[in-house]
Amino acid sequence: MPLNIDWQQILLHLLNFAILAFGLYLLLYHPIKKFMKKREESYREREDKANQTLESAREKSEEYARKLADADREIAEKRKTAEQQVSAAREEMLKDAKKEADAIVAKARETAREEKDKAMKEANAQIKEIAVEMAEKVISHGADDAFESFLAAADKQEEKDES
Amino acid sequence: MKKQKIIVSAVFAAVIAALIAGIILTDSLYVRTEDISDVMEDAVLHERNRVALFGMEVNPGLISAFAVTAVLLVFAAIVRIFVIPRFKTVPGKFQMLMETLVGYFDGQAKLNSPHRNSFLGAYVFAAGIYIFVGTILELFGFQVQAVSGVSVALPAPLSDINGAIALGCLSYLVILGGGIVNNGIRGAGKALIEFSLPISMSFRMFGALLSGALVSELVYYYMALSFVLPVVVGVLFTLLHAVIQAYVLVMLTALFFGEVSEPHVKKPKKAKTSEV
Repeated sequence: MPLNIDWQQILLHLLNFAILAFGLYLLLYHPIKKFMKKREESYREREDKANQTLESAREKSEEYARKLADADREIAEKRKTAEQQVSAAREEMLKDAKKEADAIVAKARETAREEKDKAMKEANAQIKEIAVEMAEKVISHGADDAFESFLAAADKQEEKDES
Repeated sequence: MKKQKIIVSAVFAAVIAALIAGIILTDSLYVRTEDISDVMEDAVLHERNRVALFGMEVNPGLISAFAVTAVLLVFAAIVRIFVIPRFKTVPGKFQMLMETLVGYFDGQAKLNSPHRNSFLGAYVFAAGIYIFVGTILELFGFQVQAVSGVSVALPAPLSDINGAIALGCLSYLVILGGGIVNNGIRGAGKALIEFSLPISMSFRMFGALLSGALVSELVYYYMALSFVLPVVVGVLFTLLHAVIQAYVLVMLTALFFGEVSEPHVKKPKKAKTSEV
């Protein structure tokens, strides 16, 4: 053959390279690629996990923010209700107090009127009594004595009233 | 300080002078059996300095190929047994190197053939490593005994035309296989259109690696050139074309594989316009 081309040697070269390629694949290429793939998967898993954790944290943060907003709204509503209740109770109490005060005033007026009437009645009775007593004295002691006696009796009555 | 520098420089100059004297004095001990044209012709054709292997006479390139395979498989086995089980999530230097290598070839396969690339990745990984390490092998100059009795330095496996043809044709077969598996007859057709590919890939590799070997042979043949130049020519040139050839074969194989394995998309038919 020209250029010393030898088919047998070509086949020997092919056999040699086939053995080498198979050996290198089995001993180096496949195990190293497998290791690299495994490491890549582990990194991807870590990344996914980190992303999931971030997502979960974000969701929780949103949930807490939502809950806080709900709580604020609830607090505001409760405060409003409480204020309304307090206001209603205050008005009710004021109304009751007014009613009570009115009743007290009315009662006081009634009592005062009753006492006044009673005092008037007693005064009338006393006046009647004094007048009768004076008339009796006038009749028994004359007119001058009667006048003196009337003045003395009036003074006595005044002192009694003051005491 | 200055005195110390002078002493070191003097010792260094003395050692260099002694080495040069030794090399020149021992040169007459070696008798050249071959002319430079014979050496270079044999580096191309391997017709004279053949090596015995299991009763056959083979080119030294085949021995190199077996040696590279043996070295790589032993290395791979050691790494598989002792290093890979100790791989850490945060890689060390060696782990980083191994992962970068695998990641690079896998990335090339995925980049050029996004639809189907698991087999392509493994193939280009093996081919790239084989070409690189095989080319580096010629730097070490391991000697084997030729049938003629002459000592022959092991060349790069792909500077042997049989090795280059084997790898070029195998790459083409991988491309053809990818086309058939993914696109059936259409894929096979696409691969067969590029019928010149096995020849071009084989001879490109052969030519590139042979040129490196020939330049090295030329340089090493002449004593006067053997002092400073071998470092530059031998090491840098070999490293450079090892990387370039590995890259080129990997790129071409991945590129054509991706092209023929790309799923066929039917073009929408144009609506016929009625003539007025």
